[in-house]
Amino acid sequence: MNHIMASGQAGSRNVRPKIPVGKVIVIVLLILFALCTLFPLLFLLINSFKDQGTIVASPMSLPSSWSFTYISSALEQIHFGRAVWITAVVTVIAVALIVFCSSMLSWVLVRSRTRSSSLILLLLTAAMLVPFQSLMYPLIHEFEGMGLKDLTGLVLMYGGFGLGMSVFLYHGFIKGVPMALEEAALIDGANIFRLFFGIVFPLVKPITVTVIILNSLWIWNDYLLPFLVLGNAEVKTLTLELYYAKMLSGQFSNPWELIFPAVLVSIIPVVVLYLFLQKYFIKGVTEGAVK
Amino acid sequence: MSNFYRRWFWPLALPGLILFVAVVLVPFLIGLLYSFTSWRGTYFVGGSVWNSFVGWDNYARIFHSGKFLHSLVYTLEFTVIAVIIINVIALALAQMLDFVGKRVGLFRTVFFLPNLLGGLALGFIWQFIFQNVFSKILFGPSGLHIPFLMNMTQDATKNLFALVIMVTWQMAGYMMIIYVAGLNNIPKDLYEASAIDGASGVKRFRFITLPMLMPSITIVLFLSLANCLKLLDQNVALTNGAFNTSMLSLQILRTVRFTQPPDYGQAQAQAVVFFVLVAVIGLIQVYITKKREVEA
Repeated sequence: MNHIMASGQAGSRNVRPKIPVGKVIVIVLLILFALCTLFPLLFLLINSFKDQGTIVASPMSLPSSWSFTYISSALEQIHFGRAVWITAVVTVIAVALIVFCSSMLSWVLVRSRTRSSSLILLLLTAAMLVPFQSLMYPLIHEFEGMGLKDLTGLVLMYGGFGLGMSVFLYHGFIKGVPMALEEAALIDGANIFRLFFGIVFPLVKPITVTVIILNSLWIWNDYLLPFLVLGNAEVKTLTLELYYAKMLSGQFSNPWELIFPAVLVSIIPVVVLYLFLQKYFIKGVTEGAVK
Repeated sequence: MSNFYRRWFWPLALPGLILFVAVVLVPFLIGLLYSFTSWRGTYFVGGSVWNSFVGWDNYARIFHSGKFLHSLVYTLEFTVIAVIIINVIALALAQMLDFVGKRVGLFRTVFFLPNLLGGLALGFIWQFIFQNVFSKILFGPSGLHIPFLMNMTQDATKNLFALVIMVTWQMAGYMMIIYVAGLNNIPKDLYEASAIDGASGVKRFRFITLPMLMPSITIVLFLSLANCLKLLDQNVALTNGAFNTSMLSLQILRTVRFTQPPDYGQAQAQAVVFFVLVAVIGLIQVYITKKREVEA
């Protein structure tokens, strides 16, 4: 691309270098796209400080005062403290379970080339094509029968459903890890746990970060599984609180002075985390895709 | 060495395998079985599973009910339109970032932002935007007056495009990041060589960028196809299926609410058809685009 720019300016060599017009146009376009992307979020922010009447009458105007009345009442209505805590606990434990199980499983699948290991890999990757909807009712039925229609069951379901993609990612990565270190450690007399947690696990850290980010984003924001497992139980995840806050207020009389601040506070934790760790998010998404 | 790994195979593989079997494999197989029965969620008509077999009845009924067929067609229409638009915009954004070159971090951060939020939270915001900002201010009689962009959540056809707008807004940044990585992997000397040969921008895009980008295209198409086919949260948040706007996921979820007693057998038959659809479309797409990938 730079070649074209350079040859275009060759004639005006004596004039001081101009700002390339093409680049300016593209940057302006990008800024426009960025504003379109940000608009709904800024819109959410300004409307979290207004009362119902003002939101509906003049949704685009800035609030006349930045009082936290609506935010604090939304925090209360969706039981924010409890919901964030529950969601965080479910996400962290489920992701830990996924990382633990899928890293070990993928490692032994790569290192032992038997017929059963390739069959298992095939099953796990094929499962990525199964939409959750096609097994959700039997799954809930099965877990209810085991007395696990609760938060524990929810964590286990996430664990099982997150395995396919995670094993796929780990498997692709571990294939490229040389065995020499493992052999050396074995000769030095390391046992299997030393070998895995001391040698292998630190080596696959880059893909672990990817697995953590992709699964956390999905689990944190998931609506359907908590809806089916917990329903309108006393303790809900954040997304589920949001759903019931909106649905129980009626389809046609939306209390926007509750919804806007509720959505705002429910997305703040992830957005803050993203702004601090965005390098890892972007890297995680890229590596998750190219493997 | 391999003996060592073989000895430890089952102990290390079991935790994951047990989870997988219990959460995915068994429910999936049970689901296939139940789709042939009169399952009511808590009991089987006729007493036991084996006594409540109805053969292909559930499948016959879902294909005769207008609701399921409508949501099937609706989902396919939405997916085709959304996948094309998401890909065009994501690729355009990626090309623009690639063209600008340095210092694009801020743009990347902004474009990826919508992906952090769940479809439900976003759907609520967009519902208000479509109902108030679009209808009353931007595209209303006092604004640009574009009737098509007014009251988009109260009409099946318009709502299809409302969903497309919202889903594109949400997913384009994610797909853009994958395309940016793909563009970075194209060796720059290919472009230099073609510039010397005097190839135009369009030609370079057609004969260098596109073929070299095929691996990214495979992935982005797969992700966007799968996400659009399975779309649920945004659908729930925007219309909750009113005005004939249920996509397949929502249709499966609502079948048990709108049948009395709740007909889980029928919902499960829909779920099996849904699986076949997603699997077949996914496999065909990966097969076709994989074949077009070239070695760098």
